[in-house]
Amino acid sequence: MAEVLKVENLSVSFYTPGGEVQAVRNVSFSLERGEVLAIVGESGCGKSVLCRSIMGLLPRTARVKSGSITAGDLEITGCRERELCRLRGKLFSMVFQDPMTALDPTMTIGEQIAEAVRVHRRELTGTALRQRVAELMALVGIDRPEERMGLYPHSFSGGMRQRSVLAIALAGDPAILFADEPTTALDVTIQAQILDLLRDIQQKLGTATVFVTHDLGVVARAADRVAVMYAGKIVETGAVEEIFYDPRHPYTWGLLRSLPALSRGREELYTIPGMPPTLLNPPRGDAFACRNPYALAIDYEEEPPMFRITDTHFAATWLLDERAPRIDPPVGGGDCG
Amino acid sequence: MGEEILLDVRGLTHLFPLTKKTAVRAVDGVSFQLRRGEIFGLVGESGSGKSTVARCVMNIYRPSGGQVFYKGIDTCDPRAFRINRRMLQSTRQIIFQDSSSSLNQRMKVCDIIAEPMRIQHVVPPRGSLRAEAAFQMRYVGLDASYLDKYPPELSGGQRQRVAIARALAMEPELLVADEPIASLDVSIQAQIVNLFKHLQREHGFTFLFIAHDLAMVEFLCDRVGVMYRGRLVELAPTAELYTNPQHPYTRALLSAIPIPDPRRERERRLVPFREEDFPLEGELTEVGPRHFVLHERRRDA
Amino acid sequence: MRQHSLIMYGGKKLLTFILSVFILSVTVFYVARLAPGDPLVSYYGDRVEKMSPEERFLAEEKLGLHDPIHVQYVRWLSNAARGELGVSFKYKMDAAEVVAGRAGNTLLLGGVGFALLFVLSLLLGTLCAWREDSLMDRVICRVGTAASCIPEFWLSLVLILVFSVALRWLPSSGAYSIGREGGAADRIVHLILPMTVVVGSHLWYYAYMVRNRILEETRADYVLLARSKGLTRSAVLFRHCLRGVMPSYLSLMAVSVPHVLGGTYIVETVFSYPGLGTLSYESARYKDYDLLMLLCILSGALVILCSIIAQVINEKIDPRLRSGGEAESREVTEL
Repeated sequence: MAEVLKVENLSVSFYTPGGEVQAVRNVSFSLERGEVLAIVGESGCGKSVLCRSIMGLLPRTARVKSGSITAGDLEITGCRERELCRLRGKLFSMVFQDPMTALDPTMTIGEQIAEAVRVHRRELTGTALRQRVAELMALVGIDRPEERMGLYPHSFSGGMRQRSVLAIALAGDPAILFADEPTTALDVTIQAQILDLLRDIQQKLGTATVFVTHDLGVVARAADRVAVMYAGKIVETGAVEEIFYDPRHPYTWGLLRSLPALSRGREELYTIPGMPPTLLNPPRGDAFACRNPYALAIDYEEEPPMFRITDTHFAATWLLDERAPRIDPPVGGGDCG
Repeated sequence: MGEEILLDVRGLTHLFPLTKKTAVRAVDGVSFQLRRGEIFGLVGESGSGKSTVARCVMNIYRPSGGQVFYKGIDTCDPRAFRINRRMLQSTRQIIFQDSSSSLNQRMKVCDIIAEPMRIQHVVPPRGSLRAEAAFQMRYVGLDASYLDKYPPELSGGQRQRVAIARALAMEPELLVADEPIASLDVSIQAQIVNLFKHLQREHGFTFLFIAHDLAMVEFLCDRVGVMYRGRLVELAPTAELYTNPQHPYTRALLSAIPIPDPRRERERRLVPFREEDFPLEGELTEVGPRHFVLHERRRDA
Repeated sequence: MRQHSLIMYGGKKLLTFILSVFILSVTVFYVARLAPGDPLVSYYGDRVEKMSPEERFLAEEKLGLHDPIHVQYVRWLSNAARGELGVSFKYKMDAAEVVAGRAGNTLLLGGVGFALLFVLSLLLGTLCAWREDSLMDRVICRVGTAASCIPEFWLSLVLILVFSVALRWLPSSGAYSIGREGGAADRIVHLILPMTVVVGSHLWYYAYMVRNRILEETRADYVLLARSKGLTRSAVLFRHCLRGVMPSYLSLMAVSVPHVLGGTYIVETVFSYPGLGTLSYESARYKDYDLLMLLCILSGALVILCSIIAQVINEKIDPRLRSGGEAESREVTEL
C-alpha cells in the first residue's frame, strides 16, 4: 500500500505567558492509502493539536518546533501559507466535533458546499456546480439534496449537520481526512450511522482517515490501526485487534478497563488514579509513571523507547524490556464485553 | 432500597411556546416513581425531553400539565410549594452537564460550595462555612487546596466534583443529575460514576440520572426509563431492560451501544427504528414484573 | 397568509412609530413651556423691555400664551394635522420654511459624515482585525482609544486654531463664503473641518466594535472548517466573518444615528454652520416654540425611525432568527 502521510519526530509547543507548553512531543506515525488510523487519548493529550499542526491550522500562539511532515514527496513543514492553502481541501481536510458551530450560520448548506467545490475547481458554475453539490450531499446520505440545498444550518438536526460538514470536507476529493471527535456531540443512534458512513466513504473513495477520539468504544467500529496518545506522545500503536486483544502499555490497559462494558456486574468501575501531568513542565522519565500501578524505578528516570512487539505493534513502556518483571495484563485476550 | 416513594411524577406534560398559536410538546404525559435510595436512569436522544423532565421536577420549569409529588407534596401547587419551600429547596439538588457554565466563574470554589448554606441560613455543623466546604470537598475526593481556586483553573472532572460538592452541601435526599458526565473523558466519567454509586450505597442518596450514554446507565442505574419524543416508551429494572427490551425504539437504542471489541463490534447490526410503524399514542402497560412498555391503545381495545 | 402577516408586521411597526412620535411631541411641548424664559423676546426683540403690562398682555394673548397648556397643545396638534406647523417667532416666517432652508446644510454635513463614518469604520475595523496584534493594529488601537476620548467641541476649537487661525488654510465658520453661495468647491472647503470632527470623534468607537466582532467571529469553529476547505484567510474574513458581523453592525449603525446627529449639532454650533443644529440651539434659547417643536419632532422621528429599522434588521436579516425550514424532530402542537 502507498504511504500518503509520514510524520517524523514532530514537536509542537504553545508559547503562553506561563511558559512553553509542549503539546505534542516527538510524535512519529505514518498513514497508508485507504486506511483509518484512530488516535485515542484524554482531553489535553495533544491529539487535536497534532491534526491541526499537520493542516497548518494552529492558533497564533503555537508553533511546530521540530520534525517533519511529508505527504508523498512533498515536505509540508516547509510550506508557506499560500501553498498550504492550495493543499487544504485537496490533500487533506477536516471534520470537527461540534457540527452545531462548525457551519457558518448565515450561509445555506448548498452555498457552503459549493464554496468548497469551487476552491479547487474554479471552472464549475451553474448547473454543473449544483449537480456536484447534490452528488456530494447524496454521497454523505442526505436525502432530497436539491430541496435541502437552500436551507440554513439551523434547520438541520445534529446528524444532518455532521453529514453536511463531511460533504464539505470531501468536496475537494482529499487524500486524507482528519476527523476530530466527529461523533462525540451526537446521539448514540446517530453516532453509529456517522461511523458507518465514514467507513463507507473511506472504502468507496479510498480516503485515508485520521480519526481522533477519546472513546475506545467507537474505535473498535471504525479503525484499522490505533495510536494511543498520552501527555503529547504516542505510547502505543498497533492494529485494532492488537490494541484490543493484546494491549501492552499500562495506560492502554487503564483506558480499556475504565470502559463500563468491562465492569459489568462489578461494584465499581475501574479508574486510572491521578491526573494527567501538565505539559508546561513535563515530568522526567515516563510521563505516565506516577499514575501507573506497574511503574518501575527506571520509569521515573528515563523515558522508555518504542519497543517492537510485532511489525505493526509498538509500545513505549519499560515493562517490555527483557530485564522487566513479567506482568499478566489485566485486560485483553479477547474477553472484552 | 426501601419501598418509600420519594418522588412521584404523574402525567407530566410540558409545552414550550413557539409562537402565539403553536408550541413544542417537549414532555407528554410522563409518569414514573422513585423509591428512596434508588438510582433511576432516564435515557433518550437529544430533544427527547429528558432534561425538561428534570427541570420540571426541580421546579425550574412550571409544567403545563400533570403533577410532581415529592414526599407526598405537590410541588407544582404554588401554595404547597410556598409552605414547604425551605425543605423543598434544600433536600432536592441538581447537577448540570456543563460545569464550566453552571458554576460562576468569578466565585472561589469555597464560596460556590458554601453559597446554598448561606442562602438557606444553615448553621454550619462543622464550625465555619469554610470548614464545611472543605469537608464536602474531601467527600467528593478533591484536595482542600482547591478551595481558593476559581472554576476556570480546574479541569472538567474537578469542576464537576465541585458541582457535586455544592449539591451535597445541603445534605439533600434527592439528587437530579442532568447529563453530569457527558462532557468528560472516559476515565473521569468512571470516577464520577463511582462517586455516585458510593453516595447511593453508603449514604442512601436517591438519584434521578439523566444520560444518553447507555453503557454507563447500565452500570449505574437500578431502573431505567427510555424517552422518545417527549414520551416514556419503556420503563424497567436495568437488567430486564438490557436483556429483554420490548419497545422497538429501545431495541434500536440498545443496538447502537458501541462494543469495545473489534470483531464483535463490526458484526453488530444496527436495528433501525421507523417511527411511522409505531405510533406513540397509548399507555404504559405492564408486560413483566415492574416492566412497562408503551402500547397502542387501539391494539388493546 | 404570508403576505397578511407581513402587513400585520409593518402595521405594528408603524403604530409604534406614531405612538412614539406622539409621546415625544407631548413631552417637548410641555417641557418647553415649563422651562423659564420669555417667548416675547424672540418675537419683539428689545422692544419687550419698553412694553407696558397691558401691551405685554395683549402681545401674549395674540400669541395664544394664556390658554392652559393642554389647550395650546390641542390647537398645535390640530394645526399640525392640517399641515400648518406654526410660525417662527424669531424669523417671522413659517417654521417649516425656516427648517427647509437649513435642512440641506445639515443633511450634507450629517448625511455625508454618516456615510463616511459607516464605510471608514468598517474598513478600519476590518484592517485591524486582519492584522490582529501587529504593530499597526496596536498603534491604531492606542491612538483610536485616546482620540475617542477627546470631546467634539475641543477638537473643533483645536482644528480651528491650527488650520484657520495659524495656517489660514481653511475657513473657520459658515457653510459658504458670502456672495459665493453656489460654488461647490467653496462648499467643500467649508465642510472639511466640521466633517473631520463629525467623523473623527466617532470613528474609533465603531471601528473598534467592528474589529472586536470580527475577531470574535474568527474564533468560531466554522472559520476552521472554512480554512480546512482551502479558503485563504482573507476569503474567510470577507466571505464568512464579515457576513456574520454585518447584521449587528447595521443595527448598531442605525441606532447610532442620534449619537452622530447629536455630534453634528454640537459641531454646527461651534463652527456657526447654518444647519438645524444651530437652529435648534437658537430656538431653544429664544423660546421659539413652534420652531423648536418642529425641530424636535423631526430629529426625534428620525431617531425613532432608525431604532425601528435596527430592530427590523435584527429580526429579519439573521437567518437563525428567521423561522421556517425543516422542523426539528419535535412535535409542534397548535395551542
